[in-house]
Amino acid sequence: MLLDIFDPKAAPRAIGIDLGTTNSIVAYVRDGAPVALTTCDGGALLPSVVHYGSNGAVLVGRAAKAQLTRAPGRTVASVKRFMGKGAADEETTRLGAVSFATPQDDEQARSVRFDVGRAVTPVEVSAEILRSLKQSALDQLRAVGGAVLTVPAYFDDAQRQATKDAGRLAGLEVLRLLNEPTAAALAYGLEQKQNGLFAVYDLGGGTFDVTILRLEDGVFQVKSSGGDSALGGDDMDRAIAQRLLLQMGAGDERVPEVVALALSAARELKHALTNAAEASIELPAKAGATIIAKLSRDELDQLIEPLLERTGKACRRALRDAGVEAGALDGVILVGGSTRVPRVRSFVAELFGKAPRCELDPELVVAYGAALQADLLTRDDAEVLLLDVLPLSLGIETMGGGVDKILPRNTTIPAGARSTFTTYADNQTGFELHVVQGERELAADCRSLARFSLRGIPPMPAGMARLEVELSVDENSLLKVSARETTTGIAQEISVQPTYGLSDDDVERMLIEALDHGEEDLERRRLVETRVEGERLLLATHKGLASDADLLEPAERAEVDVALSALRDAIASAASASPVQAAIDRLDHATHVWAGRRMNRAVAQAIAGRSVSDIEQSVKHADGVDAHVARHRGTAP
Amino acid sequence: MTSPFELLGVPSLFALDEQELEKRHRDLSRALHPDRYAGRPSSERREALSRAISVNEAFRKLRDPISRAEALLSQLGRDVSETNQPRPEPSLLMRVMEQREELSSARRAGERARVEALAAQANSAAYEATERMADAFSEDPIPVEQVLKVLGELRYLQRLKEEAGAALDEL
Repeated sequence: MLLDIFDPKAAPRAIGIDLGTTNSIVAYVRDGAPVALTTCDGGALLPSVVHYGSNGAVLVGRAAKAQLTRAPGRTVASVKRFMGKGAADEETTRLGAVSFATPQDDEQARSVRFDVGRAVTPVEVSAEILRSLKQSALDQLRAVGGAVLTVPAYFDDAQRQATKDAGRLAGLEVLRLLNEPTAAALAYGLEQKQNGLFAVYDLGGGTFDVTILRLEDGVFQVKSSGGDSALGGDDMDRAIAQRLLLQMGAGDERVPEVVALALSAARELKHALTNAAEASIELPAKAGATIIAKLSRDELDQLIEPLLERTGKACRRALRDAGVEAGALDGVILVGGSTRVPRVRSFVAELFGKAPRCELDPELVVAYGAALQADLLTRDDAEVLLLDVLPLSLGIETMGGGVDKILPRNTTIPAGARSTFTTYADNQTGFELHVVQGERELAADCRSLARFSLRGIPPMPAGMARLEVELSVDENSLLKVSARETTTGIAQEISVQPTYGLSDDDVERMLIEALDHGEEDLERRRLVETRVEGERLLLATHKGLASDADLLEPAERAEVDVALSALRDAIASAASASPVQAAIDRLDHATHVWAGRRMNRAVAQAIAGRSVSDIEQSVKHADGVDAHVARHRGTAP
Repeated sequence: MTSPFELLGVPSLFALDEQELEKRHRDLSRALHPDRYAGRPSSERREALSRAISVNEAFRKLRDPISRAEALLSQLGRDVSETNQPRPEPSLLMRVMEQREELSSARRAGERARVEALAAQANSAAYEATERMADAFSEDPIPVEQVLKVLGELRYLQRLKEEAGAALDEL
């Protein structure tokens, strides 16, 4: 099942996937333009619904959606809202038809589990959707390379990690997690080729994002992002469904079948009101009677006004964070299926003081952007670059339950920052650190990400030890933590306990379980993946030699050549992944110093790239501190 | 350690040209962003990531007037931080304290317009202090004690700005 990734005759194509709350889409770039691939349902949109049949069969898409009202207990919709959430999360208490498995221990409580005849995590459910999309891509492209997966900009670390795990579980090489509004801006920007300041208003099925970004010289620089990862069309449906349930005479007890019916009717009414001023639907009521439930557009507008107000608040904050007024925007872009609701459009127009743009299909534009980014990542002549930001502040809990914000929200990523802590008791040899994400002042009100314990600090009086903690986030906004004791320089053992989500071991176990022949298949797949990586490395090294061979000393060059041919041989002859991996590591080692020099060259070129007049300007102005330092060196206190 | 000015290849000045700084950051990002190293060996990707992080950190420091001033003072041999520098004058402290009280009462009362007015006031006070800082840094020799005084002032105003921002987040 997994060897199908590799068709030696076809060139692997990188794909972009929009894993949406309501629908998911896979796209790729053909002749420079993004194209959505046909899913197993025959169109571009695959409903993000998974049904677990009593016979063990798994259905995805329209077939699963048809089971929503028939077998709500075995069918999971809107799984995205549960990504990275714990068993006790508030989302599990909102109106819905699926039931949840009760966790048996703390380990299980780290992730929501749906009870669909057996317990499944949101990561596994999402992986089913991704697997189906990957299969569709394979059918049409014959070979699939890496994938860019999109996530709401406002997703926190746990939600992002869960999305990445789902990709891994589906057998995808996840090249990058890309923020949805940034993806949409990329699709628009490349289409319109217009520089300027833009706002992206992205209201999807379950998440809301707003992003302010500047497009200049091919660089998409995000200035700020805001949003709510539990706010979207689903909440509109719920508001309508609450009303319908009252009309149907349903009591306080929630019968899954009745709730599923009300939610489905709510969606129908909402969709009908996009083009009509009034809509109605027939629904069963108490004692076998039927009722005609009516809804007017005015009533819908009233029902969703509180939700829109929440998006307005996030937009105002994003503008403030970006340091711009709404009047300075060159355009507002609409993204997400929920922006088809007429009141949403007029609300956005009032909020930003200009008519929003929606030339590109708001339901496909994110997948288009993901495909474009996947294409950019696999080309090395790319002129376009996305500079995104950290959506939510990262910090460490302090004594007394406050938060030391180490990386504030809207910091350009990748980013890193350090903070120093000290021991509070004599001879304290261990230290507990709690990493949290969010804007609230108290750690308890923020999202808990992980707990770290440091051991092996040499005994010394309280306040003497200096613990330097470094938080860094990569281009996917994924967090890494490192810590060291700086007075002695002794390395610490760090153990990490993520608060939510699956451990690497969990994902590995699920991966083996999902394969027909477990370990054996996994080993074959590793070989395939390692070979692909090796091929890529050969290509990259040859390209590097073509441009920067002059930066290698003769002895180094000889070493690189030997490593290159060893890798070529290993790829051709190896029966398992490990010899190929060893050859990759050898080449990696042989090129490491050279790579650093090449980076220095790239930096020097970037700095020299400015015009001569700029340089003259800075020479003239350099009479500031530089001159001062030169004159006063050594005399400063 | 390389100064943030050197990292971004801009002159060590307080009155930096913001557009020039942003352009430099864009150019360096083009050279170092991890997306540019997607197909490269893992050690090279790690190296690019750590360099991109340093460039972004330097950019962040230079864009903020407080950390930009700190970086310049550090080049002058005066390593200062929030905890080891002279406190601003009592009159300023009183003024800031009054404004904070007013802010929290407006916040409690949910008066958005009043919070906005206070936020605007804090912004313009911080702007004015930043201008004075630029003036001080343009003198020769640089009046370090004067700079430190304004820096302390800026820190208080910055916190006031943050509190006003947080209050607006809630309203």
